[in-house]
Amino acid sequence: MKALLFAAAMLAAGLVISAQAPPADPIIRAMHDELDRSLKLTVPNLEKPYFIEYLLDDNDSFNVSATLGGLTRRRRERFRNLEVRVRVGDYKFDNTNYSGSDINFGTRYDLERFPLDDSYPVLRRYFWLETDTEYKSAVEAIARKRAALRNLNVNEQLSDFAHVEPVHLLRDFQKLNIDEDGWSNRVRKLSAIFDQYPEVEASNVEFRSGDGGYYLLNSEGTEVRVPDRTTSLRVRAEARAPDGMRVRDAVSIQTAEATGMPGEAELTRSVQTLAQRVTALTHADKGEDYSGPVLFEGTAGAQIFAEVLGRNLALTRRPVIDSRRNLAVPASELDGRLGARILPDTFDVWDDPLLKEWRGKPLFGSFEVDREGVLPKKLHLIENGTLKGYLLTRQPVRGGGDGSNGHARMPGQYGASTAGVSNLFVTASTTVPLLELRRRLQELVSMRGKPYGIVVREMDFPSSMSVEDARRILAGVSAGGALPVSMPIQIYRVYPDGREVLMRGMQFRGFSARSLKDILAAGDDLNRFDFLDSAVPFALMGAASYESNATVVAPSILIDDLELHPVEEEQPRLPVVPAPELVK
Amino acid sequence: MVFLAAASPAPAQSPSVLDILAQELNRNFTALKQKGEPAAYFLSYEVAEQDFRGISGTLGTIASTNNAKDRVLDVSVRVGSPKLDNYRQVIGERTQFTRGALLSFEDNSNAIKRRVWIETDRAYRAAAERLIRIKTNAEVKVAASDDSDDFSDQPPSTYQKAPPKLQFDEAAWTARIRNLSARFANYPGILTSHVQVTAQTDTRYFVNTEGTRVLHGRGYARVTVSAEAKAMDGADLNTGETFEAVEASGLPKDEVILAGIDRVAKDLTALLRAPEAEPFVGPAIFSGRAAGVFFHEIFGHRVEGHRQKDESEGQTFTKSVGTKVLPDFLSVVFDPTRRKIGDIDLFGWYDYDDEGVKARPVVAVDKGVLKTFLMSRSPIHGFDSSNSHGRRQPGYEVVSRQSNLIVQSTKAVSDAQLHNMLVDEIKRQGKPYGLYFADITGGFTTTGRNGLQAFKVIPLVVYRVYADGRPDELVRGADIVGTPLASFAKILATSDKTQVFNGYCGAESGSVPVSAVSPAILVSEIEIEKKAKSQDRPPLLPIPFKTETPRSAQ
Repeated sequence: MKALLFAAAMLAAGLVISAQAPPADPIIRAMHDELDRSLKLTVPNLEKPYFIEYLLDDNDSFNVSATLGGLTRRRRERFRNLEVRVRVGDYKFDNTNYSGSDINFGTRYDLERFPLDDSYPVLRRYFWLETDTEYKSAVEAIARKRAALRNLNVNEQLSDFAHVEPVHLLRDFQKLNIDEDGWSNRVRKLSAIFDQYPEVEASNVEFRSGDGGYYLLNSEGTEVRVPDRTTSLRVRAEARAPDGMRVRDAVSIQTAEATGMPGEAELTRSVQTLAQRVTALTHADKGEDYSGPVLFEGTAGAQIFAEVLGRNLALTRRPVIDSRRNLAVPASELDGRLGARILPDTFDVWDDPLLKEWRGKPLFGSFEVDREGVLPKKLHLIENGTLKGYLLTRQPVRGGGDGSNGHARMPGQYGASTAGVSNLFVTASTTVPLLELRRRLQELVSMRGKPYGIVVREMDFPSSMSVEDARRILAGVSAGGALPVSMPIQIYRVYPDGREVLMRGMQFRGFSARSLKDILAAGDDLNRFDFLDSAVPFALMGAASYESNATVVAPSILIDDLELHPVEEEQPRLPVVPAPELVK
Repeated sequence: MVFLAAASPAPAQSPSVLDILAQELNRNFTALKQKGEPAAYFLSYEVAEQDFRGISGTLGTIASTNNAKDRVLDVSVRVGSPKLDNYRQVIGERTQFTRGALLSFEDNSNAIKRRVWIETDRAYRAAAERLIRIKTNAEVKVAASDDSDDFSDQPPSTYQKAPPKLQFDEAAWTARIRNLSARFANYPGILTSHVQVTAQTDTRYFVNTEGTRVLHGRGYARVTVSAEAKAMDGADLNTGETFEAVEASGLPKDEVILAGIDRVAKDLTALLRAPEAEPFVGPAIFSGRAAGVFFHEIFGHRVEGHRQKDESEGQTFTKSVGTKVLPDFLSVVFDPTRRKIGDIDLFGWYDYDDEGVKARPVVAVDKGVLKTFLMSRSPIHGFDSSNSHGRRQPGYEVVSRQSNLIVQSTKAVSDAQLHNMLVDEIKRQGKPYGLYFADITGGFTTTGRNGLQAFKVIPLVVYRVYADGRPDELVRGADIVGTPLASFAKILATSDKTQVFNGYCGAESGSVPVSAVSPAILVSEIEIEKKAKSQDRPPLLPIPFKTETPRSAQ
């Protein structure tokens, strides 16, 4: 009912509703017709599909990168990607949530890339063959899942798939309208700023603008076509301290459209600031062990909530696992803690995908419908410090009630989607001015007889570290264990006289969602942090094949009893050959 | 005049990539030689610049378009001495120092030099570490039977000739691909089909510390046709055809490609109804293209020089130089200088190899007698220097690889006579039939001692040839198997017409373009086995849409 009301309201805003008239869009028509035919699929001795869904991403993107004034990559790419989901069994028990759910058991037809031209018969053929493959895999998976369950005792029987109301939402895509030469010049120019900073060893400026959207049709009657657009500029810089330690920092700016990007003067300032910060890091102090209060100022506060809270608000369900396989499934730290206090009782947290702007600027994390075709709601996740709910997809989870709340934002595992935040707001009913936060930090430090306190102004989240570095960290995490928090990049010792000393190579130890209970105070500032979230660890920049737009708005926070320690690895020796001189 | 020129406000000409690389080469080498521990004795940079266009289509629609330009840098640092350096082959180890770093494709000195410096540092660290490890290893392990040096002498080369700029009419090819790929709509039994065009220029810049400065390159253009179907018993069937040229403008006209598509589609449609091949041992003819692949797999890979040195290799021919390895009416030449056979462009030619060595023809087998191996700058016992076959895909380390393999025969008969000889052989052996391998997709060969040391080539189109005059009968699902030495002895005669197989060969140093040129051959005995088959059923639902195009080709 809610869906219908919503659709009626959108009609006035120029929305197409396809209740009776045949859809004009050949993709929707082909999806529709093939879906209908496939549902009637009857094969002797095989279960019929009870659910079929087609999700087609259609994207046109422009990508350009440069280093030190020279372009390294420039690409315009249009692609379509089809994902077909077939479920056999019923909502209570089907082929998903099983360790073999993502395995392809049948023939993969050699379909290569999905056609870009809208030829109805060719579209039908692609949907047909892809459905055939997925159906055969689904039938095999459910048989194996049943077999695996014969050897297992299952304590709690959760359904495999949540019911939702069908949604009709058809919006038009925008054409990518980008000045390719203009942006190539801008990127080249921005990258040449590093010519002035010889201590920065490696740097890279990458611009990407993508337009398009996705189609989603399912056998429950949902028909969705919504735009999906992201423009981002990522600048990374790396250098080496005299002892060989590598230091780095990055700037990432993202908006929906390229026209929303800051002007050239502002971009230039951002890159200059980055270059200066990385240069400063090469001269920064190597830190030492610390245990005590830490103040997360400005963006760093929002980054902490994004990483430590946001990611744990999505639960991962443990699949049925073949007894032969040993599979570690990392669990959310907030699993099973519904109704427990997880933040000080002055804190409220909500997620609102439908809010379009905040303080006069468009929010980055907003969306109309999720990647399972479910209309999202504003969620009150934490009230007075107590956990009230989770970000949910159509995969039922313990404590998640019996339905989705429209937060399926990324591809997931074992036949499910991954939930993610949209616009996450963290507020506190009692706040103090930033200066007061600083004063309290000093007070605690002197009370405990420590020489200094710690202020963090920027975390490395989403992380700009290399894939190799990330692999090394992950290799050190025990199977199923919690990931460490990403590294603080702008981290200072603050002495009683107010003097600040920049440090490098510091890491948190044991920082988890539980640490948030030890928040001592929140600032009266609210800082907005836009980022591209993904399902990979540390939301590693550029490492995921799918990223979702997200915003976190949060105050500065003072947390007690955090532990920091310096990176202990041996540092590589300095290069034998000095760096080549840069011609300015 | 001189003053005028000097005073003119015209911008200074920006240095070429080769100059930038040479400057950074000298700067890095000087320091690594003087201050490196261990010291470097050799350094080279190779930059592969690839300008690429591609369009792929299916059934009258475009599925993807590609348009890319990039430069990839490969660094080779050698520490120690030519007698023993960081590239020493050790059993069970794959050496990889370079990683194919992305370099600016604009001639920007700052951008290029910084990246070159970072990659040199990285490669040097890896090289130094390995040399120390190898020295320990050499003391611990029994000496290898081939104790040749690790690096051969090579006089410097200088050469500068950039290939023509890439010409590709995107709009015209988009229309052509739509039109060509639509042809498959005439064949409803085919499940998936693709027609793709690619065109690229590959420019290579090479500098080393011996003074070699080389700039060379060439174009590659190709149309690839492929189709796939599934037989009622679940067997996956596919057929395909390719057309190659140096430039896109040299690719065949649409009529020719359409005829190729019809062939591919008709073969596949016929294969759907063809009986399954039975295991068989007996006489056969390989078409020229099939024979080319056969030689590439069972002979070519076994004369790659580095395999003679690697203790984990089977070393089929290591000690066979000067002895007969093929019938005496056959010779095999690897000729990277040969650009065409008839009017067909070859894929395996180049001006210089990836170690900056000028290309030259190599007679590997002369009248049946093995003369030499394909050599990079890694010496082997009895062969001290490169013969211009050190090749790689950007991002890999160089090893010896094939170029244009050309089989020459002095016992050549007409195709009709060859067919008659096959019939005679079938009768002589008392077999019910012989085989004709019309087309082959490629294959693989295992040369390692741990593997089977056998080969397998994957025939696409195979016929049974009957001795009693019955028409040839198409069969499906045959794999050729066998061991190499046995197969060579059984070649009885060849046809007097050669065919060309152009393709990409994958091995330790990545994928490199090669050609295999051969006449059809008659062998007295070949063995085929049944191919591993999918158990999966054909699509459960029939094709959704009765195609609107006429079914004339049925």
